[in-house]
Amino acid sequence: MTRTMRILLVDDDVSIQRAVAPLLRSRGYEVDVVGTGAEATNAVSDKAPDLVVLDLGLPDLEGVEVCRRIRKQSKMPIVVLSARAGEAEKVAALDIGADDYVTKPFSAEELLARIRVALRRVSEAEAPEVERVEVGDLTIDYSRHRVVRGDDEIRLTPKEFELLALLARNADRVLTHRAILKAIWGPNAVDQPEHLWVLVAQLRKKIEPDPGNPRYLLSEPWVGYRLASSPLAP
Amino acid sequence: MAISADVRHLFLGSAGIALITLPLWRWPSFSNSTTVALGYLIVVLLVAATSRLWVAVTTSIAAMLAFNFFFLPPVGAFVIADPHNWIALFAFLVVSLVASNLSAVARDRTRVAETRRDELARLLDLSRDVLLITDSDEAHARLAGFIARRFDLEYAAICMPQESEWAVFRAGPRELTLDPRDLSSAFASAEADHRFTPEGVSLIPLRLGTKPIGVVAAAGRPLEPGTFEAVAGIAAIALERAQFLDERKSAELARQSEELKSALLASLGHDLRTPLTAIRVAASNLQASWPSELERREQSDLILAEVDQLTRLFQNILEMARIDAGAVTEDMRWVAASEIVDAARSRVEHTLRGRNLRIAVESDRLARLDPRLTTAALSQLLENAAQYSAADLPIEVAATIDGSGLTLAVRDHGPGIPPADLPHVFERFYRGANAKRRRSGTGMGLAIARGILAVERGTISAENCADGGARFTMVVPAEVK
Repeated sequence: MTRTMRILLVDDDVSIQRAVAPLLRSRGYEVDVVGTGAEATNAVSDKAPDLVVLDLGLPDLEGVEVCRRIRKQSKMPIVVLSARAGEAEKVAALDIGADDYVTKPFSAEELLARIRVALRRVSEAEAPEVERVEVGDLTIDYSRHRVVRGDDEIRLTPKEFELLALLARNADRVLTHRAILKAIWGPNAVDQPEHLWVLVAQLRKKIEPDPGNPRYLLSEPWVGYRLASSPLAP
Repeated sequence: MAISADVRHLFLGSAGIALITLPLWRWPSFSNSTTVALGYLIVVLLVAATSRLWVAVTTSIAAMLAFNFFFLPPVGAFVIADPHNWIALFAFLVVSLVASNLSAVARDRTRVAETRRDELARLLDLSRDVLLITDSDEAHARLAGFIARRFDLEYAAICMPQESEWAVFRAGPRELTLDPRDLSSAFASAEADHRFTPEGVSLIPLRLGTKPIGVVAAAGRPLEPGTFEAVAGIAAIALERAQFLDERKSAELARQSEELKSALLASLGHDLRTPLTAIRVAASNLQASWPSELERREQSDLILAEVDQLTRLFQNILEMARIDAGAVTEDMRWVAASEIVDAARSRVEHTLRGRNLRIAVESDRLARLDPRLTTAALSQLLENAAQYSAADLPIEVAATIDGSGLTLAVRDHGPGIPPADLPHVFERFYRGANAKRRRSGTGMGLAIARGILAVERGTISAENCADGGARFTMVVPAEVK
C-alpha cells in the first residue's frame, strides 16, 4: 500500500464518529466524516475516497438509497453499518452494490477487517487475473478447474467448482444468496434459494474437514455466504 | 268520538231528508215521485259515503219512510199500496249499503296506510337509533330502550339465552316477569311469527340468518305482525353490528399493541446498539497504544456519556414498565412549587449542564401532591426542552400554585413542534422529524410524563408559542394551602 487510503465515514451519530474516526486514523487511513446522505453523495465526488463506511440509519435518506447514489457515481467499496436487527435492509444494500456489512454493536477489529478486505478487492482487481488461488490448505486452479488439498485432488461438479471459484474470487467478502444464485444459475433462479442450499451442502461435504462445523464456507444467516481466506481454527 | 261522529252524521242525514221533504211536500206542484226519490238518494249517498254502515242504513230507512208517508199514495200513511214503491225502497237500501261499504273499505285502507306509515316511520327511527349503539356491553339494554321509546310500548325487552337461564334487558314503565318457558318455546319455534304469552306479551325470536339468538318481547300497544318482525330483524342486525364493532375494536387493540411491541424493539435496537458500538470501539481504542493523552481523555468521556445515555434509557424503560403495570402509586405530601422545580433540575443536571435556565416561581403556597412523581414528570419536560433546542438558547420554567393545584410550564426557544407531529408528541416512541437527527432522546420521555400525570389525575399539553419555541404545560390538581 504505497499511498494513504482515504475513507469517508458516514454516520449521523456523534459518538460513533468520535470513536471510529480516531480508530481509523490510528491505522493510517485519512478520514472524512459526514452525518447525512446528501453530504455523503457530495463528499464522494469532492473527496474521492477509496472506501465509504456507511451507516444505514441516516436522518435524511434511506441507507439503501444513499448506497445507490454512491454506486451511480463510483465503484468504490462500501462497507455498511447497520443497527437494525432485520436483515432485509443489509441484503438490499449488498444487492445494490455495497461490498460488506458490519452489524452494530461491532468491535473495532471487525470493522477494520471488513475495511481491509474491501480495499484488498480493489487492489486485486487492478492486478492481473491470477490463475490459481490458495485458501487455507486448498488450492483452487481456475484455468484447469481443479481443487487440490495437499496432494489430493478434490473432485467437484462444474456447479460446485463455479460456486467455490465465485466465493474464492471474493474471498472474505459476503455474497448475498441472490447474487450467488444470479451468478451461477442466472437471473431467473434468484427466487429459488433451495438450489443454493443443496449445492452448499454438497460443497461443504467435499472441502470442509468437518462439514457440520464449517471453517471455509461460512454462512451469514439470512444474508449470504462468505469464504474465509484464513480459515477459522478448528 | 266515533259514536258522536255517527250521531252527528245521523242528525245531518235526518236534516237532509227533512230539507228535501218539506218544500216538495208543501208545494207538490214542483215534484213528482221521481224527483223526490232522487233527492232522497243524494242524501243517502252522502251519508253513506261519509259515515258508517248502520248510519247509512238508518238514514235510508228514514228516507224510505218519509217517501212513503209524504209522497206515495195513500199519502199520510205508512202503507205501500203500489208494488213499485217496494222497488224504490229496495233501491234506497242497496245504494246505501254499496256506498257505505265502499267508503268503509276506502277509510279502512287509509287507516291501514296511515298505521303502516306511522310504523314505518318508527322503524326508520329505530334503525337510526341502533346505529348509535357502538358498545356491545350495553347494546341489549339500549336496544330495548329504543324499541320501547320508538313504539310507545309499556314494556320492551331483549331476552338472550344464557347457559341455564335468560338474561332479560328490559325497558319501559311496566314491570313484567317473563316466564322462561314462554321464552324458550318462542326461541325454539321454527316460524319467525310472533306469539302471545297469557299475560298478553308478544314474543318473537331474534334471528341472525336462520339461527335464533334471542327473543324480543313487547307489551302495552298492539304492533302489526309485520312490524314486529321488522323490529326483531333490526334488533338482530343491531346486535350483530355491535358484536362486529367490538371484534374490530379488539382487533385494533391487538394491532396497536403489536405495533407498540415492534416500535419498542426497533427503538431499543437502535438506542442500544449505537451506544454499545461506541462504547466497544472507544474501550478498545483505550486499550491500544496509539492514543495520546488527550485522545484517551476524549474516548473515556465518550464512554461515560454513552453509559449515561444507556442508564437513562434503562431508567425510562423501567419507569414505563412501572406505569404500564400500574405499579406507580401516589405518596402525598405538602410541597412548594420551588422544591419540585429544584428537584427536577438536579435530576437532569447532566443534560442541563451549561444551559441558561430561567425559573419563575409565582407563589409561596403549598400544594398537597406526590413530589416524586411530579418531579419525574417535570424532569422529562426539561430533558425534552434541552434536547430539542440549541445549547445556547434559554429554557424557561414557570410554576404557579392556584386554587386548583400546581401548574408547571416548560418553554424552549427551539424550532417548535412541526404541526404534523403535534398530535403525536405524547405517543410512545414517537419521535418527530426533528428528533431523527438526535439520538439522545429515547422517544419515551413525553409518554412517561403523560403516564405519570395520568396517575396524578393531571393533564399535560403541548403547544407552539407565537414567537417560536414549544411550550409544555402540566397541571397537577391538588389541595392547596
